[in-house]
Amino acid sequence: MSSRELDSYRSGQPAQLADVLERVLDKGIVIAGDIKINLLDIELLTVKIRLLIASADKAREMGIDWWQNDPFLSGANGQNGLEERLRKLEEKAGLPTSSAEE
Amino acid sequence: MSAAPIRESATGWYLYGVVPAGGQAPATSAVDPSHEVVAIESGGVAAIASRVSLDEFDETMLPERLADAAWLERTIRAHEQVLEAALARTAVVPCRFCTVYRDEDHLRSFLTGHSRVLTEALERLAGRVELGVKAFAAAEPPSAAGQAESGRAYLEARRAEQRRREELAASRSRTAAELHGRLSSAAEDGVVLDLQSPSASGRDEEMLFNGAYLVADRERFERALEVIARERADLQLELTGPWPAYNFVPEELGRG
Repeated sequence: MSSRELDSYRSGQPAQLADVLERVLDKGIVIAGDIKINLLDIELLTVKIRLLIASADKAREMGIDWWQNDPFLSGANGQNGLEERLRKLEEKAGLPTSSAEE
Repeated sequence: MSAAPIRESATGWYLYGVVPAGGQAPATSAVDPSHEVVAIESGGVAAIASRVSLDEFDETMLPERLADAAWLERTIRAHEQVLEAALARTAVVPCRFCTVYRDEDHLRSFLTGHSRVLTEALERLAGRVELGVKAFAAAEPPSAAGQAESGRAYLEARRAEQRRREELAASRSRTAAELHGRLSSAAEDGVVLDLQSPSASGRDEEMLFNGAYLVADRERFERALEVIARERADLQLELTGPWPAYNFVPEELGRG
């Protein structure tokens, strides 16, 4: 089996940020602690941190700018994936995207 | 004129997770690097914790800190690395990021108050790890609707695109269900996680499945994954872990 098909365990290198965030921010023991904080939308945080890492050009290449004015991303999970996929498809198709229809 | 009170920098306790009594604290850098990671025992279990400055971790200060992406990434990585180091030695029930107690008594009363459920959770996790599996498929080719010459052709192309999208979504959800079924049968437990967008996953391909499994026999689990990888050359499978079992904490302690 090639490594392309099945990436082996990460060996020493840091885990993918998104995988860490989806666990650390949202899972585990959540009832403990004296200090109550509102953690932001995980995807938003992931993208934000990736922005820090990636250069602006690379970020644009990855399509990381759609979230900024995106009302869907500030909501709960649910429709986000669908809306985003739809928008990406529309973008690829050269159609006006949902966010530009105001 | 009254002198302004000189406020000493108060500290609290950052709780990473809980291990069986007798568990040693890993020699890993803490979320607040000026303090050491220690083990605090109570109620037959031990907290893996470190002191943190409440200037940074108080609820009035945290929102500002969380807005600082560099701080956030460094702190999240530290949280994860402490838990991974603990996991290398023993079972661990991980806490969510930024679980902070104002003082040691509060931390201890959490341990004693949940002694039974924590002990049972640790027994269940002994010798088991969480593994993550993600499956990706090549992104769809762009639709031809944008190039259509007439309005009618455009609408037809949009409708065809819509049908194609629905078929693809149905086929992907069948694939995801099949993957989860097969992987679950090689594991003690399994959960389906939210899909990550390409911007979060950092890959061009689209994620069609994201799951987490509590695994006792890693060899068996990996064999099951290899069989799937051979059968489904159209998928790219990614195995991650071992993780602290974030996705397998008892409902009483988790989100439920």
